[in-house]
Amino acid sequence: MKRILIVAFAVLLMVPGLLSSAQGGDTLAAVQARGVLNCGVNGQLPGFSGLESDGSFTGFDVDYCHAVAAAVLGDGDAVEFFPLTAPQRFDVLASGEIDLLIRNTTYTVSRDTDLGNNFAPPTFYDGQGFMVRADSGIGSVADLDGASICVGTGTTTELNLADTFAARGINFEPVVFETTDETFAAYDAGRCDAVTTDLSGLASRRTTLGNPSDHNILSEAISKEPLGPVVRHGDDNWYDIVKWTVYATFFAEEAGITSGNVGSFDRSDPEVDRFLGEISTKFGLDAGAFAAAIGAVGNYGEIYDRNVGPLGIAREGGLNASFQNGGLLYAPPFR
Amino acid sequence: MAKAEKSDEGIIVCREVNKWFGDFHVLRGISVTVQKGEVIVICGPSGSGKSTFIRTINRLEEHQKGDIIVDGIELSNDLRNIDAIRSEVGMVFQQFNLFPHLTVKDNVTLAPIWVRKQRKSEAEALAMQLLERVGIPEQAEKYPGQLSGGQQQRVAIARALAMQPKIMLFDEPTSALDPEMIKEVLDVMKELAETGMTMLVVTHEMGFAREVADRIIFFDYGQLVEENTPENFFNNPEHDRTKLFLSQILH
Amino acid sequence: MAEKSKTSIPFWRDIRKLNVLIQIVFVILVIIAGFVLVNNMQTSLDQLGKTFGFEFFQDQSSFAIPPESLEFDRTDPYWYAIVVGLVNTVKVALIGIILATILGTFMGIARLSSNWLISKIAEIYVEIIRNIPLLVQLIFWYFAVFVNLPDARFSIEFFGVFLSNRGLFLPWAFPSETFSIWAIYLGVALIIAIIAYIYRRNQLKRAERPGFPGFTAMGVFMVLAAMTWFFTGPAPLNLEFPVFGRFNFDGGIVLSTEFSALLFGLVIYTGAFISELVRAGIQAVAKGQVEAAKALGLKGSKVLQLVVLPQALRVIVPPLTSQYLNLTKNSSLAVAIGYFDVTRVANTTINQTGHGLEVIIILMACYLTLSLLISMVMNAYNRRIKLVER
Repeated sequence: MKRILIVAFAVLLMVPGLLSSAQGGDTLAAVQARGVLNCGVNGQLPGFSGLESDGSFTGFDVDYCHAVAAAVLGDGDAVEFFPLTAPQRFDVLASGEIDLLIRNTTYTVSRDTDLGNNFAPPTFYDGQGFMVRADSGIGSVADLDGASICVGTGTTTELNLADTFAARGINFEPVVFETTDETFAAYDAGRCDAVTTDLSGLASRRTTLGNPSDHNILSEAISKEPLGPVVRHGDDNWYDIVKWTVYATFFAEEAGITSGNVGSFDRSDPEVDRFLGEISTKFGLDAGAFAAAIGAVGNYGEIYDRNVGPLGIAREGGLNASFQNGGLLYAPPFR
Repeated sequence: MAKAEKSDEGIIVCREVNKWFGDFHVLRGISVTVQKGEVIVICGPSGSGKSTFIRTINRLEEHQKGDIIVDGIELSNDLRNIDAIRSEVGMVFQQFNLFPHLTVKDNVTLAPIWVRKQRKSEAEALAMQLLERVGIPEQAEKYPGQLSGGQQQRVAIARALAMQPKIMLFDEPTSALDPEMIKEVLDVMKELAETGMTMLVVTHEMGFAREVADRIIFFDYGQLVEENTPENFFNNPEHDRTKLFLSQILH
Repeated sequence: MAEKSKTSIPFWRDIRKLNVLIQIVFVILVIIAGFVLVNNMQTSLDQLGKTFGFEFFQDQSSFAIPPESLEFDRTDPYWYAIVVGLVNTVKVALIGIILATILGTFMGIARLSSNWLISKIAEIYVEIIRNIPLLVQLIFWYFAVFVNLPDARFSIEFFGVFLSNRGLFLPWAFPSETFSIWAIYLGVALIIAIIAYIYRRNQLKRAERPGFPGFTAMGVFMVLAAMTWFFTGPAPLNLEFPVFGRFNFDGGIVLSTEFSALLFGLVIYTGAFISELVRAGIQAVAKGQVEAAKALGLKGSKVLQLVVLPQALRVIVPPLTSQYLNLTKNSSLAVAIGYFDVTRVANTTINQTGHGLEVIIILMACYLTLSLLISMVMNAYNRRIKLVER
């Protein structure tokens, strides 16, 4: 009896320690102690984060996980991926199960505040669009009056859809699913006249449908969807690391640094020299951490061309071009 | 004992009745004729087919060969005949089989109301009369689970009588009773026999058989071995098997 | 020494004192655990910069819910979204319980049938359905069957009913302008029907016959309703048939694909369990009961109705209650196939507001209330049919 009581008390005393350790303040130390970066991704979105037949993940979002791992751990492959549904993602991040969420997540005020997140700079500027069957005769959003529309739950698209259609006086029947796979399976089976998500998502998923050419993506976008990496509130240094790793990919492109030439790049420019060298020590990382990130995945252009290019989403003239080419990507000074 | 007038036909006529349970030949060519008002006691070792035999009379068991004619109605596969015979023939079981979800009174009135289409008050008056006859009118509002075994069996007799049957079948009515309760049930049966009811009784109560029966039928191995008056049956049995049986149960 | 131990047992050997002590220790442990958990929750919420409170339920929800029972607009608050979800849950649970009971009873009796084919079919149904997880079945029914029905344009049609991958579209009668006049007639007819019910009941009582005065009353009501229909002039109800529009059917009422698939899956699944209960219940009624009833001359249907079922019910009802509870709770698997039950609405609310703890508390309260209500009704019924023993 006495022994049972002692054990019970001991367990009780440990409970708060067990529960709160998950949200411990120093993510960097935790990741380095673990030796692996836990990264939350979609996993059902080829080109952004898709599951390959050998069980590995590839894609645009996945490469950003590799970049952060390379900067933090010196090894771009030291990543464990967590495929998450839209409704799960913020809870899993808040619980501390993952260090970083890169899951085509739209940057909004309520997610930044109510949900207790910090957003790194958007890595992909997107907009919400619609995909319809080519033989449906639907050519614009206005044609969708009275249609059934498949949409994923827990997304900004779900809210935009209701907002925009109400504002435009368009009636529709929402058919709402938990996962991306379910949403598109139902659309493919004919449950809905249209399916909606970010345009990039539509392009990505169109490749997985039975016959991609039977489906059209409407050119109209009904919203702004800036997608980017997310970390939880409460660890400013970790937020800075993720933020500046993203900027590093922008900067490398601006400076012409690629995964191929990062080792031998001319360091006569003082900013390039700082970028490739000691500046990362300001975050508590090793010198040359950003060079390691670029070495692992390349600059923004390389990441884009490798992953998003094959989906047929053009970069030139769009928002995702570098500011030098009229786009929105712009790295603050590395100083 | 007062005998009712005998007609040659007989109220129950069985001719060459055969029955099999799978491969087991349980009734082997039974022929019996029962006259109106007769009390027949059927005895024999367990497994001899005596219970099965009386259960064929109201078609709780189907016979495969031979004829059974009850009160002029031939027992065939015709549902109407089966229903007609069942409402003429009352039966009392070894395990009482009262309906546990109904009060004693409702047990007795159930069939008169639903089969005979009697008015409720009529059926209840009859039920009270019958419960008085079996000696337990004060238990009318109780449930079977609240009665002793002997009381339950008396209710079962009243329930069977409520249909005003011409024939009563008793399938070992006292075998499941504690010894002190056997007499109260046998007394009711004796009283019933005195009113001239036609009765077929499967029992091991040899005292009852000697005192009340008009005839005793002895079954063994599915065969009707001996049919005799009580006097001859006990004092002067014809068959060796009967003698063996009697020596085993009488000391 | 021996006398002393008789009067004062040391407390660690005194069973009565020990029992009290264990209770006290247990209560203290529970209080400590509760305190630690609440404290820990507060710490975690503070760390994340979140607050605990239910005020956000007043905020505008901004999402859309497909119309299943109540209309919902994006400007409605979150609490109303939860209400809509709860009504949707109650709708599928209630209809599901009724249909599963009918299917289960039918299959349970079929299983005992002397007809080899019928009993074999019932057996195969039960064995297959019971041994596959419900979630798998729901996904099968929805994604493999219901969504793969023909497109709305090529619906299967029977008697004005259209079945397609958009749902089941049924004709429905909607009130017209003259409905209010007819409603008054209906009120009068209802009063007359009640009078007829009382009259017939007394008449049966006097004649001392069993019977169903409810049928008489219903007949009277229907005849009066039909007669006054013609007095009203223009028809008070307009029968509306579903008509194919641009994408889908308009008019009539619709049971959505999601609702139909969920209902179908729940009924098939729970029906299999109920059929086993029915079978066990009937088999629990002693063979002698049927024999005694038959020997009294009762016909087969009356034997079932008057003797077997009343006894089988007392065996069936307690486990049946837990099947009803299971069905209600299992309806939360709706999240997998896009039906907006209360769990789905709660998930969406958590996701859009971040108030997970508060929403989960409300969600648990919803299911607890539903379950307790069902248990209450079933327990009351169970007490009514309980056997009186000595």
